[in-house]
Amino acid sequence: MKDRVAVIGIGCTKFGDRFERSYEELICDAAFEAYDDAGIDPAQIEAAYLGTYLPGSGGGKAAVSLADALRLYDRPITRVENYCATGTDAFRNGCLAIAAGTYDMVLVLGAEKLKDRGGRGIPRLGHPLLARGNTAPGLFALAANRYIHTFGLRRETLAKVAVKNHRNGALNPKAHLRMEVTEEQVLKAPIIAWPFGLFDCCPTTDGAAAAIICRADLAKRFRKAPVLVKGAGLAVTSGRPYFDPTFDYLGFRSTQAAAQQAYAMAGIAPSDIDFAEVHDCFTWTEISNIEDLGFCPKGEGGRLEEEGQTALDGRLPINPSGGLKSFGHPIGASGVRMITECVVQLRGEAGKRQVKDPELGLAHNVGGPGAVSCVVVLGRG
Amino acid sequence: MSKPDGTSYQKYLPRIDEESRGYWEALARHELHVQRCRDCGAKRFYPRALCPVCLSAATEWVRASGRGTVYTFTVTYQNQAPGYRDALPYVLAVVDLAEGVRLMTNVVDCAPEAVRIGMPVEVLFEDVTPEVSLPKFRPA
Repeated sequence: MKDRVAVIGIGCTKFGDRFERSYEELICDAAFEAYDDAGIDPAQIEAAYLGTYLPGSGGGKAAVSLADALRLYDRPITRVENYCATGTDAFRNGCLAIAAGTYDMVLVLGAEKLKDRGGRGIPRLGHPLLARGNTAPGLFALAANRYIHTFGLRRETLAKVAVKNHRNGALNPKAHLRMEVTEEQVLKAPIIAWPFGLFDCCPTTDGAAAAIICRADLAKRFRKAPVLVKGAGLAVTSGRPYFDPTFDYLGFRSTQAAAQQAYAMAGIAPSDIDFAEVHDCFTWTEISNIEDLGFCPKGEGGRLEEEGQTALDGRLPINPSGGLKSFGHPIGASGVRMITECVVQLRGEAGKRQVKDPELGLAHNVGGPGAVSCVVVLGRG
Repeated sequence: MSKPDGTSYQKYLPRIDEESRGYWEALARHELHVQRCRDCGAKRFYPRALCPVCLSAATEWVRASGRGTVYTFTVTYQNQAPGYRDALPYVLAVVDLAEGVRLMTNVVDCAPEAVRIGMPVEVLFEDVTPEVSLPKFRPA
């Protein structure tokens, strides 16, 4: 697949509490921005992939939410759902369809409208046989506490992740929580599930993001300089890793496996990556992710954060968009939104949050927690 | 669903199925059972039809000692789901049983801030409905 698929257009709504826009309107906002960015007519879309965890009302367990929103009828549309890796996996599937030679142009769109649903948008967590009051923060906190016990990570280091990602997000007009926070604010915030306080957790968010991809050999005829897909990996492991006595809780093997697939396809090493959008659903998750992605050995992610290596002007900027932490996390939209940030950065269009002269960017989701991970590597065309 | 004392139990209740029936029946007798593969001998939790080691379906229930150690835990301060919101803060814990299997549970009968990774714990049983008792753990 390497260098055979190009991203030629991107669109992304403002993320946030979007009570004033419907699920269909969010889809239209993202898609038409992407059509315009590429300079194409919607009729040119041959196939589409919808990444969504909770489809629009009446959408059911199908891809009709996208068809009806965009009036894209009588074409193949596939709905992808793979926990928090939904968006990146939808993108990966679209790329495979282009690389297979089946279609010349495909729309990938992730959308979610969570804020006007009960239960903070997320269905009540927990298998009654297995769960004892687990929440999303609680499940990641189980891993974070074991990690803290093993490597001596401090809450102050977790707070630095939140401070950095809020600083990046404050520079991003489309971010949900567009404000800076101080380390003291993060540390003094109410505890959600120890060691995570309020600012260690990403928000619940509405939003949609879109990418238009096409055959790389056709890409130069469109409006913007194309960005090439270098590699993509998807790894699914047990949906219940918590009960595996050999699981050490120090990281997620699905991320490690998906990253290895993507690097092998791209023919690169982790050290070749210039910046990354990683799944910072919680501050600890970013630290563990950058280790699982091979940017540093296990246990040293906190040091990278402490030393400022992951800042916008650091050696390896992580989450220049603001990440899930500040930009927000509409589940199915997040992965596609990360792709759009990689494209913006690789085109050099990121303005105040521009990473210096990047060649290769990476997008990563992990969900489950730990059950599924998807990694995409993009490069300047 | 009413508890034995007539009050309502609002937290999640299990859907007892063929794979887990033996587990719940043992808990109702205040015994903690895990499955053992009759072909390779591997013990497993959670209850399921096939051995995760050798895929054999030949399974028997064996009584666990109820002793274990805390592998990791968190103290939950925010959960607005019915039943849980009245129980905050509570300890969600992963306990490794002496038998070599791992389960998710709550540590009770101690202050949440007293729980430590590596702490020895022992099982106790909470009767939540006439049919359902849950295994919880306390410091041993």
